[in-house]
Amino acid sequence: MIPLLTYPLALLALASVPALAAIYILRNRFRRRQVSSLLLWQFQVQSKSGGAKIHRLQLPLLFFLELLALVLLVAAATGPQWKLPQSARPLVVILDDSFSLQATRDGVSARARARDYLKRLFDRQPPPATRLILAGAVPRSLALVRTWREVDAELAQWQCQAPGADLNSAVTLAAELGRQQANILVLTDHKPAEETISNPRLQWAAFGVPQDNFAIVNASRTAFGDEDRCLLEVANFSDAARTTRLLVQTGTNAISATDLALGAHEDRRLVFNLPSGAPALRAELENDALTEDNTAQLLPPIRHRVRVLVALADENLAALANRTLDATGLRATISADPELVIHETDTLTGTNCWSLQWTGAAASNAYTGPFILDNSQPLAAGMALNGVVWAAGASTNAPGDLPVILAGNIPLVSTREDAFGLRHLTLNLNPGLSTVQDTPDWPILFWNILSWRIAEMPGLKESNTRLGAAEEVKTTGGAVTLWQPDGGKKFFAQTGGDLALETPLPGIYFVVMDNATNQFAVNPLAADESDLAATASGQWGKWNEATERRLETASAVWIFGLAALALLTAHLYFVAAARGGGR
Amino acid sequence: MDATLRQALSAGEQLGIRYALQIPQVAASGWTGSRSGRRNGSSIDFQDYREYEPGDDLRFIDWGIYARTDRLTVKLYREEVTPHLDLILDGSASMNLEATAKAIGTARLAALLATAAANAQCTRAVWLVGEGFQRLANDSLLPSAWDHLTLDSRRTPEEAYAILPPRFRRLGVRILVSDLLWPGDPVPTLRRLREGAAALFVIQLLARDDATPPEHGNLRVVDSETGAESEIYVDAGVARQYADNLARLQQSWADACRQCGAHLTTLVAEDLENSLPELEQMQLLMPA
Repeated sequence: MIPLLTYPLALLALASVPALAAIYILRNRFRRRQVSSLLLWQFQVQSKSGGAKIHRLQLPLLFFLELLALVLLVAAATGPQWKLPQSARPLVVILDDSFSLQATRDGVSARARARDYLKRLFDRQPPPATRLILAGAVPRSLALVRTWREVDAELAQWQCQAPGADLNSAVTLAAELGRQQANILVLTDHKPAEETISNPRLQWAAFGVPQDNFAIVNASRTAFGDEDRCLLEVANFSDAARTTRLLVQTGTNAISATDLALGAHEDRRLVFNLPSGAPALRAELENDALTEDNTAQLLPPIRHRVRVLVALADENLAALANRTLDATGLRATISADPELVIHETDTLTGTNCWSLQWTGAAASNAYTGPFILDNSQPLAAGMALNGVVWAAGASTNAPGDLPVILAGNIPLVSTREDAFGLRHLTLNLNPGLSTVQDTPDWPILFWNILSWRIAEMPGLKESNTRLGAAEEVKTTGGAVTLWQPDGGKKFFAQTGGDLALETPLPGIYFVVMDNATNQFAVNPLAADESDLAATASGQWGKWNEATERRLETASAVWIFGLAALALLTAHLYFVAAARGGGR
Repeated sequence: MDATLRQALSAGEQLGIRYALQIPQVAASGWTGSRSGRRNGSSIDFQDYREYEPGDDLRFIDWGIYARTDRLTVKLYREEVTPHLDLILDGSASMNLEATAKAIGTARLAALLATAAANAQCTRAVWLVGEGFQRLANDSLLPSAWDHLTLDSRRTPEEAYAILPPRFRRLGVRILVSDLLWPGDPVPTLRRLREGAAALFVIQLLARDDATPPEHGNLRVVDSETGAESEIYVDAGVARQYADNLARLQQSWADACRQCGAHLTTLVAEDLENSLPELEQMQLLMPA
């Protein structure tokens, strides 16, 4: 380990070393001295008959003591500082969890390179404490660890499966967790937004390598009448035209294998229909730098229907209601065990269903507006009521009813929720004197009613979703078990009716509730992550050196000073004991 | 001769005025002189009577006793002798070690001893050991008048003796001034010097650099006589070995002197004046 020198110019004082050596060499030259006889010197007399003999330069111990003391004093004058065994600052490491870090080059992923960098950092100067933050769509703090072994264990959670990484939020979280004292290290695969990092505590290290990549950037499977309409969008993220092969399978049957020739930065949408009963669709591209975005799985869409019982005594009203319900396409073919009852009286035919009470059929007051719509209610979504005539009874809304559409103070459509969470709607309309049933607002209203009812029915909302997006589940309040693609299991003992499931991994998820199993597919569809051209390698920002030196280094001047003092004491001892003799 | 050495001779002469050579009793014999000998002689100092023996000088018969006792009796008088000093100077180059006061110390010590000998009514001969044992020119004059005192020989005393041996006077006092730094057994040398001498004094004169362990560091030591060189890193261990070697050499000379009946002392040239009491202590000098 090389010590840091505070005053490196003090090394110039080493010029005194050759001066000392010169003094000793000159001093230790053989001085000629005539003696009466060599008789008394015979213990050292050497034969000259064999010629001259090379004499090793004999320097006394004192010379080496003085030389060493001189070097130590010079070293002390330079103000050496040793790096402490570990950094004095805690470290917060932000791990870019986006799946672009799985892109490999020569078999090594950016994640692996980032991990090696972190390990080298720990080998060189382990921080006293380390907190890891997974920067996915939402930053998530991992455990506070101290040793590299603990860090490495935590890094197992760094799967790089997220469709994006909100690094700014992660940096903000890191700064809060570090209380402005910790060093922050961002490990990612792209450059920071601003290459000049002003934060003295932030260091940004990127390990990405720009590469060509084909990716499925969009995939959907929606209900299209009796069929399923599929959309696949393939993009070529390279600067040159390239060709890849797209294989589409449903179950074990290969539907098509297409060679896609795409120009530079071109994307192509493929739209095709599948029978509604077709199993899961799997689209797959050839392997390239990033395999994560080469596959998409699409499950059949969820077709919700509402069992509606039309219990209207008035045949005209019933015919109008049935015709409108059929037009929405959201009505089930059966009406047994109805989920929505349309009736005229106050008496409900079912206890566990929604109701729509049609009142005012005999009303004679026709209103032309203006109509007041509560757009916060799903029932009013998309409705305009421009130029319509709405005949309704001049009654006020009942206690507990929430008006959705009003004509002045006359509620035309209102809603109420009972103690069981069931919705009871009231439609105040006399279609005989109205024109609203002849306008687009009329099917919109019924579509809203059925959609609202569907939304409140237990089950999944969608069967296909993007990676990272929450999958909404309507529950009956009971326990829900979620099986993830990696085999992981999540159990929710009690739910409040609405449940948003995280989708951290791509693949097929299984949701078990009320003895029923539903599944949905999650696909990593993120064009920004698939575009590897924007990745980069490098390091931006540097932890403040001056502060680091104060906190992470310790002055070693005292060591050199003490050593020099000890040497000088020994020097004094030898001089006193042996009169400077060469021991 | 080097002016420095001549100046040192003068200084030693001045220094020697205060001292007289202490003559051992056994050395009180020799040529007729002004000093009382240990035998009977022809001085005016009456010593004893004894029976006449054939061959006695008839001039010393005490005729008065013969007249009274009819016996021939001769009078004995104290012999008057002149003791002699043979001063032997090591003339090797090591005695002129550069950057030391060794040569000056040698000259001063020689002049001192010669002057002290003169003060003790001694005759003297100064021998320079070089290419043989050579009498120093003008050695009978005052030391300041000596000449050709050159310390540049590369011979050991053993070699010099083989080339030209000295002719020492019997029963003279002999003093050897040398650093004794040559290899070999000192006993034969001492035996030769001691032979026929009344006493032998060996003064080892060292420079301070010789006597003290060398300073630390890298040294290229050069033998002053042979020119041989050796590169040595001197540290505490080497200094200790040097001191041990010197002590061992001195001990070998001390043992040899003891064996030969000589007296040994060691002086440091740079500290000569303070070392003179040691010469008194070994009964070589005494205050004049």
